[in-house]
Amino acid sequence: MLTRTLAWVLAATFPSSGDLPGLDSLDVRPSLRQLQREAAPVFALGLYGSTGAFLLCPLLTVGWPLPAFLLPRRVLDRHAHAMAGHRFYLVRQAMLMIKTVGAALWGAHPAVRSQLGLAAYEPDPGTFRGDHVVPQTPRSAPQPAEIQP
Amino acid sequence: MTATARPGAHLAYREGSPLALEADYIVVGSGSGGSPAALVLARAGYSVALLEAGPWRDADDYPATMLGVMRDLFPNWGATVAVGNSILPIVQAQLVGGGTVINSAIMVRTPGDVVASWASDHGLGDVLNPGNMGPALDRIESELHVADSLEDTGAARFGGSNQRLLDGLRAGGLSAHPTRRNVRGCQGQSRCLQGCRLGAKQSSNIGWIPEVLSLGGTVLSCAPVQRVQIVDGRAVGVQGRFRHPQTRRAGARFIVRARRGVLLAASATGTAPLLQRSGVRSPALGRFWRAHPGAGIIGVYPDVIDMYEGVTQGTASIHHRGEHGLKLESLALPLELVAGRTSGGGKQLTARLGDIRHQAMWISAVRAEAVGTVRQGRLGGVRVAYEPTRRDLERLRLGSALLARTHFAQGASRVRPGVVGLPFEIGPDEVHLLEQAPLHNRAWTWVLSHLFGGAVLGADPNTSVVAPDLHVRGVRDLHVVDASALPTTLGVNPQHTIMAVAWIIADRLANDDRTRTKSASKRD
Ligand SMILES: Cc1cc2nc3c(=O)[nH]c(=O)nc-3n(C[C@H](O)[C@H](O)[C@H](O)COP(=O)(O)OP(=O)(O)OC[C@H]3O[C@@H](n4cnc5c(N)ncnc54)[C@H](O)[C@@H]3O)c2cc1C
Repeated sequence: MLTRTLAWVLAATFPSSGDLPGLDSLDVRPSLRQLQREAAPVFALGLYGSTGAFLLCPLLTVGWPLPAFLLPRRVLDRHAHAMAGHRFYLVRQAMLMIKTVGAALWGAHPAVRSQLGLAAYEPDPGTFRGDHVVPQTPRSAPQPAEIQP
Repeated sequence: MTATARPGAHLAYREGSPLALEADYIVVGSGSGGSPAALVLARAGYSVALLEAGPWRDADDYPATMLGVMRDLFPNWGATVAVGNSILPIVQAQLVGGGTVINSAIMVRTPGDVVASWASDHGLGDVLNPGNMGPALDRIESELHVADSLEDTGAARFGGSNQRLLDGLRAGGLSAHPTRRNVRGCQGQSRCLQGCRLGAKQSSNIGWIPEVLSLGGTVLSCAPVQRVQIVDGRAVGVQGRFRHPQTRRAGARFIVRARRGVLLAASATGTAPLLQRSGVRSPALGRFWRAHPGAGIIGVYPDVIDMYEGVTQGTASIHHRGEHGLKLESLALPLELVAGRTSGGGKQLTARLGDIRHQAMWISAVRAEAVGTVRQGRLGGVRVAYEPTRRDLERLRLGSALLARTHFAQGASRVRPGVVGLPFEIGPDEVHLLEQAPLHNRAWTWVLSHLFGGAVLGADPNTSVVAPDLHVRGVRDLHVVDASALPTTLGVNPQHTIMAVAWIIADRLANDDRTRTKSASKRD
């Protein structure tokens, strides 16, 4: 449910436009689920709070007393745009958070990159070094006297 | 029961019984400050334990996407912010090598006026002076292969955005230069922020830290230090608990004892809170926190620029550093970050990114006069309070307008200022709008990546945490060797200076120790 709501808000922020695919036509739910699993709590909190603000703010942005998911398509698009430039700083900040995540998913997607003429990204390995013992080698480094600046 | 480690080992996340270790010196944090300090001490023959909160990632482990960068390279997914009358994102790295892994590799020597002011205004002339800064900077330059980015990469790979800024500033009568960087064989892929998969960037995780290991040093990664143990006014060790880099699960506890001293290099957001957690008291602790806030401006050109084909930050100018505290640079920000900062939402936003290959981003960064604080937060994080002043904003506005004019002079058809209250795009005859842009922090998209202070060096106990004898006041054998020790901003990229200061301090400690040991053995 949460993933679906998030995906919906992100798609409203980065929808398809002309030839450029948007998050409405790309399946980013697996990446989103991974993000939800792995994100630092403070980051996730910011994202969920901002999603809530997106859903609840149409009255402030387009004057419609409805949650965003009940807005007609065209009005929803106006709402997304108006949130980004709203005169209330916190509304803009909420949108910035949504845009940061939406942009990360959109800008990394191979379909978007190919349409824009940019090289595709390799996968993120997510790996790191485990324990490792370095064999003792003879001292080849400069001796103390040499390291004086 | 405790496990022990043998020297020359890298120990990563572990669970189970606590780990106990002993070394002559402990260095906390492995970035621009910690890595040279550990190296100098290891080369001087001391056993060193280098502790790093993040994991050790090699070039093959680096992420490619921004989500990967946030997850794998940034602390807390990049959620650290400075709060004042606006919220400013703080960009830092958390892995072995710290900022040296994600930064743009630009190396700038400490300006003479900075060293002079450290002597005259902060009483540091005996410790940091041209006589020792110069050779330390030279030494670091030669070890890290610092070279002119245009010469190193070649004109074909330098990049269109870098070239236009260079040409544009020079044509406008300003001094500008290709950046000097610590790279070897850069291919101009504009991926410094993701860590250099080619291994061209000479970050400390590929050179200096492996050398510390080969000299018998021990590296603990995934090992955030919780506190410094202070007994009878002397730093005797550190303690903490391993933390898994992905799941954030707490692992085994570790305790490292220091025979000779503890050097802190946990960065300008990490060192002061660590000192606070360790019970150090000083009226200056957490204060005098400063930065070079910066903001970008995008030019859109009729022809293809391809800013991602070229050096990440190939051109810089400090022409206006003296009078206006400005530093101007080109910057190939990944598409994801450009998309996040482009104004608008919905279809308009997506459409605005369609011309990404025609965009060139340049930034102005300000040697800000604002002074903030850094503190340990209640919920475990850090709290940075910081607010650029009106004068800082005026300077940023000036720099942005100058860059806009340069874009137009170089043939841009439109400029995207990214300032709330201004049109999304302006044309060549609308730069005055930018010159009159609102002077409020909330209107600008600032980012902080050059940070200073919190535990500064100086002669006055009311305004400094570390005395000119290099000990944290009131605690023997505890030292600070990172950006948090710097008492001023620089107005230039800081890593070279941070490295040189750390080098000098570590060298001084090593020599003092040797002198002490020699005279003690003579007495015996
Ligand atoms: C995107 C970006 C680009 C930049 N580009 C340049 C550039 O081109 N040239 C330049 O001169 N400067 C650049 N900088 C700035 C430069 O990288 C930093 O100023 C410099 O790395 C700071 O050095 P430091 O040692 O103070 O901290 P860091 O390099 O940040 O190192 C601190 C280390 O301490 C670790 N740590 C923190 N807390 C603990 C703890 N409790 N226990 C153990 N470890 C801990 C952190 O994980 C980190 O690895 C850039 C910065 C960024 C973010």
